Amino acid sequence: MDDKTRLELYQVMVLSRTYEEAILREYYADKKPAFDIGAGLVPGEMHLSAGQEPAAAGVCAHLRRDDAVTATHRPHHIAIAHGVDLDRMTAEIFGRETGLGRGRGGHMHLFDPQTHFSCSGIVAEGLPPATGQAFAFQRQGSDRVAVAFTGEGAANQGAFHESLNLAALWKLPVVFVIEDNEWAISVPREASTAIGSNADRAAAYGIPGQRIEDNDVEAVYTAAGDAVARARAAEGPTLIEVHTVRLWGHFEGDAQGYRPDLADVPGRDPIPAYEARLSDAGILTAGLVSSIKDEAVARVEKAIDFAKSSPVPAPETALEYVFA
Amino acid sequence: MTDVRFPQLSQEQPDAEGVLATWFVGDGDQVASGQLLGEVMVEKVSGEVLAPAAGRVRLLVAEDQTARQGVVIARVE
Amino acid sequence: MSVTESATAPAEPAVRRLTTARAMVEGIAQEMERDAGVVVLGEDVAKYGGIFSSTAGLLDKFGPQRVIDTPISETAFIGLGIGAAVEGMRPVVELMFVDFFGVCMDQIYNHMAKIHFESGGNVRVPMVLMTATGAGYSDAEQHSQCLWGTFAHLPGMKVVVPSNPADAKGLMISAIRDDNPVVYMFHKGIMGLPWMAKNARSIAPVPEEPYETPIGKASIAREGSDATVVTVSLSVHHALDVADQMSAEHGVELEVIDLRSLVPLDREAVLTSVAKTGRLLVVDEDYLSFGLSGEIAATVAETDPGMLRAPVRRVAVPDVPIPYAHSLESAVLPTRERIKAAARELAGA
Repeated sequence: MDDKTRLELYQVMVLSRTYEEAILREYYADKKPAFDIGAGLVPGEMHLSAGQEPAAAGVCAHLRRDDAVTATHRPHHIAIAHGVDLDRMTAEIFGRETGLGRGRGGHMHLFDPQTHFSCSGIVAEGLPPATGQAFAFQRQGSDRVAVAFTGEGAANQGAFHESLNLAALWKLPVVFVIEDNEWAISVPREASTAIGSNADRAAAYGIPGQRIEDNDVEAVYTAAGDAVARARAAEGPTLIEVHTVRLWGHFEGDAQGYRPDLADVPGRDPIPAYEARLSDAGILTAGLVSSIKDEAVARVEKAIDFAKSSPVPAPETALEYVFA
Repeated sequence: MTDVRFPQLSQEQPDAEGVLATWFVGDGDQVASGQLLGEVMVEKVSGEVLAPAAGRVRLLVAEDQTARQGVVIARVE
Repeated sequence: MSVTESATAPAEPAVRRLTTARAMVEGIAQEMERDAGVVVLGEDVAKYGGIFSSTAGLLDKFGPQRVIDTPISETAFIGLGIGAAVEGMRPVVELMFVDFFGVCMDQIYNHMAKIHFESGGNVRVPMVLMTATGAGYSDAEQHSQCLWGTFAHLPGMKVVVPSNPADAKGLMISAIRDDNPVVYMFHKGIMGLPWMAKNARSIAPVPEEPYETPIGKASIAREGSDATVVTVSLSVHHALDVADQMSAEHGVELEVIDLRSLVPLDREAVLTSVAKTGRLLVVDEDYLSFGLSGEIAATVAETDPGMLRAPVRRVAVPDVPIPYAHSLESAVLPTRERIKAAARELAGA
């Protein structure tokens, strides 16, 4: 891997984490003293991706703007890695008229036609549409690919299995990426899944499957490179499982009383680890780290300012956009 | 007369501030020992407030009011 | 020295109030104590206690053999509940959000609801499917629906929708004891959760002993003679608030009927009330068209439209997905403002 690519992976992960930290701040800012989930400028559920950046960065580095990506209720790192407009995404999270969905969708329902990105909140249900986007690309004779991100909990849902079988059967140009963050809300993988690695399920559908350990962004990058190349070459789908870490709760407000390893979790943060690795390799210096972080903060705060200064949707427009 | 204190939900921050989320009894109600009196929240963790004795309860903190862990929030007479 | 103890006046019994969440848990717990065949299955029902506290404390009381976390496999574990019920158990299965019914509806409406009929009455499915419903805290399109109209529309399953703690416990006990499949739909906004905006009626007295609230019988939440408000769930609370205002500000007395059950539907209660008041307002947090509110209106129209002195008014979600932005969500939900405006128009006040 060349230095430029490694640095870009680091930058994307820093931008993503900076974003999540800012959203965390904004989310809680006006919910005190008692946590009221419906209060504040960013109300509702919030599922943040701290710790899972390597999966997004390593995969999306291989994608073009015209490749399709579907994601889940925990979408921000993937949207950022795929190049979704940060201002409009933030405005959507703040429920503003200038948001990607004109404030209608919110953080779990981000749609960006410019980058063919979408996400939704029903577990595993992003896989069938991704196979459909792949189907269209195949029919249109392009080498575009679709990538569906999902969680390890979703691998036990019917739509997962139907999608893998159909994609394999019709040799669709789709890559399925499982982010195994070990927890489906409060249920650990061992309590939900009959086998040790979801990558082994790929064999059941006759497609390649690979599991990446240690939340290693470069290993993800390598595996994803192979998978995307296969899809572009019309060789069909691949399943990649990334063993990652959910540094924060399932949703904000989750006390995680069910999680015995909580004290160890901060030590598994992939970004300081990668920063150390690149510093040792001479690719990062303290000065460069500083400027990357400052740049990320500036970019994120600009997006938040844009969101906060945007108008809220007018109640009289509540019934629009049901039909085209 | 027995003090009823705001439960210690956060061990790392002994004097963390929380909220009296819900009172299940009214001021002056007769309560049984061990009866569920209320529910509190510190950050995202919720906890129960149980009556330490039987008697008439006097509520010293209102619902939705903040209070520190350990402070007296009610008395049972 | 002899001590004469002066007789003290007997203290009033301890007033025991519970949130709706705790009341429904108590109902499940008391049935689990009574009947070893009652088991609870669902996502995050064990250690977590249900993400809306619908099973809080049950794991500690009854252990992991009876309070069971499932994978995210609704078709499989709801179907499993059906099979277990057929073989004599009484499962209480939780569908985390009613909005997720899309991934498992075949098991629910084609199997759970139809097996008894298909078998000519020879096979029973004594199962409870409990599920969280409702909007108001910005959870958007896929996590805010009510959908009781959809379930009520399909034959073979009872549908209950408690609005308050006492009914939540009584209906849960009735549902578990019922030999039929019962869909138990609880609105997140009535649970009395400390992390969600509470309303005063989410915490109320609940009898300590087990008791059944009859399925299929509405309750008159408030008596009145000027207009009838028929509603269910969180909207009962809003309707009662509006009724207080209408009385104080306009001298109009609304009668509020809390349906409590949609299947069976207490049509008698509706007709008796409308015969008295002549004016009908239906408040429903589900979608407007093809649902509960139309069913109530049809009940009156096909019995005796002459009992109406004014057209039926309906306040419901206007056939639009629930939007995320707060300004839009509050425009489409059946808020107190919308209910009051409709009541005033109906009563000519």
